[in-house]
Amino acid sequence: MWKRNCRSTVVAFFLLASCLLLLAHAQSPELPAGPAQAKVTTACLECHESRIILQQRLSKGAWTKEVDKMIKWGAVVDPADRDSFIEYLSTNFPPDKAAEQMPRVAADKKH
Amino acid sequence: MISRRDFVKAVSGAVAAAGAIHPLLSWAANDSPVVIPGEEGMIVRSARFFDLEMPAEFFDTWITPVPHFFVRNHMHEPSTLDGETWELRITGEVEKPLTLTFADLVRMEPHAVTNTLECAGNGRAFYSPHVPGVQWQKGAVGTARFSGPRLSDVLQRAGVKSSGKHVMFHGLDEVPGKVPPFIRSIPIDKASDSDTIIAMQMNGAALTKHHGFPARALVPGWIGAASCKWLSEIKVLDKEFDGNFMKPGYRMPNHALKPGDPLNLDDSHVVTGLTVKSVIAGPVDDSTLRSRSIHIHGAAWAGEADIAKVEVSTDAGATWQAAQLGREHSRYAWRLWSHSWKAQKAGDYAIWSRATDSQGRIQPATAEWNPSGYLFNAYDQVKIHVEA
Repeated sequence: MWKRNCRSTVVAFFLLASCLLLLAHAQSPELPAGPAQAKVTTACLECHESRIILQQRLSKGAWTKEVDKMIKWGAVVDPADRDSFIEYLSTNFPPDKAAEQMPRVAADKKH
Repeated sequence: MISRRDFVKAVSGAVAAAGAIHPLLSWAANDSPVVIPGEEGMIVRSARFFDLEMPAEFFDTWITPVPHFFVRNHMHEPSTLDGETWELRITGEVEKPLTLTFADLVRMEPHAVTNTLECAGNGRAFYSPHVPGVQWQKGAVGTARFSGPRLSDVLQRAGVKSSGKHVMFHGLDEVPGKVPPFIRSIPIDKASDSDTIIAMQMNGAALTKHHGFPARALVPGWIGAASCKWLSEIKVLDKEFDGNFMKPGYRMPNHALKPGDPLNLDDSHVVTGLTVKSVIAGPVDDSTLRSRSIHIHGAAWAGEADIAKVEVSTDAGATWQAAQLGREHSRYAWRLWSHSWKAQKAGDYAIWSRATDSQGRIQPATAEWNPSGYLFNAYDQVKIHVEA
C-alpha cells in the first residue's frame, strides 16, 4: 500500500509542479519588438524562459559567442539568420542598458 | 534517519501545497509576485531553467529555511522521480559495482553537515565588463543542515581500486537539445573526506525536488556545482572527468586576467573551494532610516576555511571597525555578524563589509574578473539615507 501511495503522490506532485512551471513560463514577458523577434523567440524559448535573455548585458562579440554556442548545443537557427540574431540581441541587450528587474515569489504566510 | 512515514508525509504535504496554491498563480508583470509551491519571497532569475535567488535581507538566519534556499538548475529538472524505483549505481574503478535503492541508503549510518552552499556564479552580475549567464547578485547561497550516508562508506562497500583517483557524479537532469550532460567529478581525497555525503535530508526533512530528491552529493566548502542533484550514478575514474562542465566550464585562470580577456584553458584550473566573502543583510540597500543608531548585520563564509573576522567601514574604507561574530558556528557554515554604528548626522552613507579567514585570505576591494563570472567576492556595499 505504501508503495502505491508513495508512487502516486510523487507522480501527482511532479505533474502539478510541472504544470505550474509551464504556466509561469507561458506568462513570461515577450522579447522586445524587432526584425528577428519572432525567430529568436521560437529558437531560444524552445528551451529557455525569456528572462534569461532579458537579464543579459553583453557586447556584440559576447553575443556572437553565445549564439554560436547555443547553435552548437541544438538551437534551431537557419544559418542565414545567425547574423540577424546577433544584431537583434546585441541591439536590445547591450552592456550599458539598465539592469532588468526580476519578479519575486509571493510570500507564504503559512511559513 | 528518514522513515517511510516521514517520506510520505513530506511528499503529501508538497502535493497539498501545490493544489492549494495553483489557482493563485499569477505572473503578469516583472514586479508581480509569482506563486511557486515551497518557495517564498525569492527572486526569480529564470523559470526555465529554474533559478531562484535569495534576497539579501534573508541573510539573517544561521540556517536558511528551505523556502528561502537558492535554486540553481542547468537543465530541466527530472520530469518523473519515484523514490520507490529510484536506484543509485556505483560503477567504474571499483571491485564490486553496486546498485543501491533509497531504502539501502536510508539504512546506512547518516552523517550531518551544516554547510554553506554557494553557486560559483553568485555575484556574476557585479562583474565589469558583464559576462553571460544567470545574473546572480548576492543570494545564490544558503546554509542548511544536510544529512545522509557518507560517500566514503558507499565507496568502501564497492571497494575502490588503487586506480581510482576521481569520483564522478551523474544526475537525472533532463538534457535539452545537444547540450552536454551535467556530469562533474571531484578528487578521491575530497570524496573520501568524512564530511562528504550523499545527502538525503535538508534541515531535517526529505530533499525537495528543486534541491535534488531523492539524493544529491554534498561536497562541503566547495562550489555548489560539485554537489550534483538527483544522483543516478557515482563512477570512480582513473582521471578527472573532462566533460563540458569540468572543461571549459567551471574553470578559473591560473593568473589574473585583464578584464575582458579570454580564458586560456591550458593556463586554468577547475574551481573547487569557495573563497572568503561577506554580505550585508541589513540595512537594506537604498533604504531610508529614521534613526541614526544603525544595526549593521550579515553573514560571512570562507568555504573550507573558518571566518576569522568581519570588519565594517562607513567612510569608504578609510577606517574599519570589527564586527561581532555570531555564536553559532560549524565548519563549512557561514558566521552571522553584526555591528552597531551611530551616524553623526543625517545624510547619505555607504556601508562596506569585508571578511578575513583562518587562511589569511582577505575579501578584496575588487574581485578577480574572469570570463564566466565565478567567485565574485569584492567588499559588499549598501547605500543608505539617514533622515534623523
